[in-house]
Amino acid sequence: MIGATLTLLYREIKKWVNRKPVFVVSLITPIIWIALFGKSLNLQSLFQPPPGVAQNPAFASVYKSMVEKRMLELFGTTDYFTYMSSGMLVAFSLFQGLFSGVSIIFDKRLGYLDRLLVTPIPRISIWASKILAVIVRVTVLSTILLVVAIAMGMQLKEGIGLVDLLGAWLVIVLVAAGISSLYAMISFYASHQEVVFTLGNLLNLPLMFASSALFPVEQMPSWMQKIAKANPVTYAADLVRHYLIGRAVNDYWKSIGLLVALVAVLLVLSAWLSVRWMESR
Amino acid sequence: MSEYAIEVEDLRKVYPGGVEALRGVSFRVRKGEIFSLLGPNGAGKTTTVRILSTLYKPTGGVARVLGYDVVRESGKVRRVIGVVSQESTSDDEMTGFDNVYIQARLYGLSGEEARRAAWEALRFMGLENAANRKVSTYSGGMKRRLEIAMSLVHTPQVLFLDEPTLGLDVESRRELWKLILDLKRRGVTILLTTHYMEEADRLSDRVAIINEGRIIAVGTPEELKKKVGGEAIHIAPMDPQDADKIIERLKSHGYDVRKAGRIVVVKVDDASRRITEIIKLVEDVEVLEVGVVKPNLEEVFLLLTGRRLIEEEPSTTARIPTRR
Ligand SMILES: Nc1ncnc2c1ncn2[C@@H]1O[C@H](COP(=O)(O)OP(=O)(O)O)[C@@H](O)[C@H]1O
Ligand SMILES: [Mg+2]
Repeated sequence: MIGATLTLLYREIKKWVNRKPVFVVSLITPIIWIALFGKSLNLQSLFQPPPGVAQNPAFASVYKSMVEKRMLELFGTTDYFTYMSSGMLVAFSLFQGLFSGVSIIFDKRLGYLDRLLVTPIPRISIWASKILAVIVRVTVLSTILLVVAIAMGMQLKEGIGLVDLLGAWLVIVLVAAGISSLYAMISFYASHQEVVFTLGNLLNLPLMFASSALFPVEQMPSWMQKIAKANPVTYAADLVRHYLIGRAVNDYWKSIGLLVALVAVLLVLSAWLSVRWMESR
Repeated sequence: MSEYAIEVEDLRKVYPGGVEALRGVSFRVRKGEIFSLLGPNGAGKTTTVRILSTLYKPTGGVARVLGYDVVRESGKVRRVIGVVSQESTSDDEMTGFDNVYIQARLYGLSGEEARRAAWEALRFMGLENAANRKVSTYSGGMKRRLEIAMSLVHTPQVLFLDEPTLGLDVESRRELWKLILDLKRRGVTILLTTHYMEEADRLSDRVAIINEGRIIAVGTPEELKKKVGGEAIHIAPMDPQDADKIIERLKSHGYDVRKAGRIVVVKVDDASRRITEIIKLVEDVEVLEVGVVKPNLEEVFLLLTGRRLIEEEPSTTARIPTRR
């Protein structure tokens, strides 16, 4: 099973890297995300001191410390860009998850899936290769995203270690595994790629905005807070922030537990339904 | 061990939605032979291949490949078969080599073995020079040959070819026929589907004619063609008025004779032996041409179903079969 999965993963990655223009664009995507979201949604610029204050050095310094105090309360860092780019890693993973569905639909339509199904490989390896391909993509692209964010001013927590980076990576991988499982099982049953894209937009945007990925939950209208607090993306984003920028998490173990449990359920359900589709025609 | 590579008994398939694609299909394919399913579009050929290759489950009936049940022992069946489906199934974003190599790896070959097997299959299919090009640059004939290379790389004992020459030009078709016969010589059992009667006739040891989900005749091409009354001798007299004279003469000698335009058609079981006798009988008539016409599978199909294999083809080439 492992051999077949790795062979199919080799194909997925080779296809990704082979499509030179698409590959380059996919590498640039995280940079564009950071530049657009991070720098245009620069909330901090709203707190520029008024002209009268700015001219007086003593006032300006008091004003600055007040703003920073407020920023710290809200974002757990004095810098919104730092807050946002760590959440962006999770949001980005969410959108990469769509690729599992897209490539399954393509394999179905191109007849490649039928060819795989007449070989003796375990059916689950077909499914697994799609999930793993997303994880590989997300790993490569998140690394680029993180490096670019740091270059653009993201401040990692002091004394960040390998364990923190590993923790952040694992959370991002969990998100990628969960969301790609979801789209994989939909795609085996769906007949058109539009279904996956439509569902993807319907699901991904609220998952991203009604979470702490881009804005702190406390700043949301109360109805949205309820959604955000139940949203697994919030748990993931909070955990990534904990590891990367040292922002405190309320329920560290609860967050991890819920995230792992949810992703485990999605993986099992997706694997089971996907294999069932492949065997029931 | 049974002498049959494929055994199909009363196979039925009803698709979700209610289409009854197979209504009780039975046939047996001997080891090492090329066996064709000949039938028009929608006859159920692809459905049969999909069930035999474990892709779809039958609604009823039993099918075995090399003794393994295609439903209960699908894993064992998959190890011994190769499938070339009607549609293209290669990945056209990758090179021909990669397509075949990945296929080899999926059958458990190690990296080195897979590379060697892939090159061998590509060479056998005459694709070694195009191996490192993306499949999207291949011609239709090359794509088909790549599909076969992909299906051969694990040296299957039974090969399914679903309409292998569909949409190919005459030259590529002939090339492919040669390769298919080469495969047979290597001992591969081949189940081929086609709606080209010439293809079935040339390649097959035996043919099953399939129509609307049922097998309506099985036999060697020769046996099947006998159904339309064996061979015929066509006599074209110099003077059309002599036709009646010829007919009368031959009838009095017990021949089955009829007129088709200005030609006299004599139905015989064994034309090459009868021809000298017939020529002697009409010695005194001036004859423009005498020829032996072999019946073809198209006529067999027409006789059995009243339909043509390829509906859109002009009917001018059709000859009226004798209905008995
Ligand atoms: N996946 C499917 N779902 C529903 N009906 C199908 C499917 N595949 C084939 N059919 C129908 O089954 C019949 C037999 O089709 P097929 O086996 O493809 O015939 P052939 O290969 O001889 O042209 C046709 O009526 C076709 O429309
Ligand atoms: Mg077909």
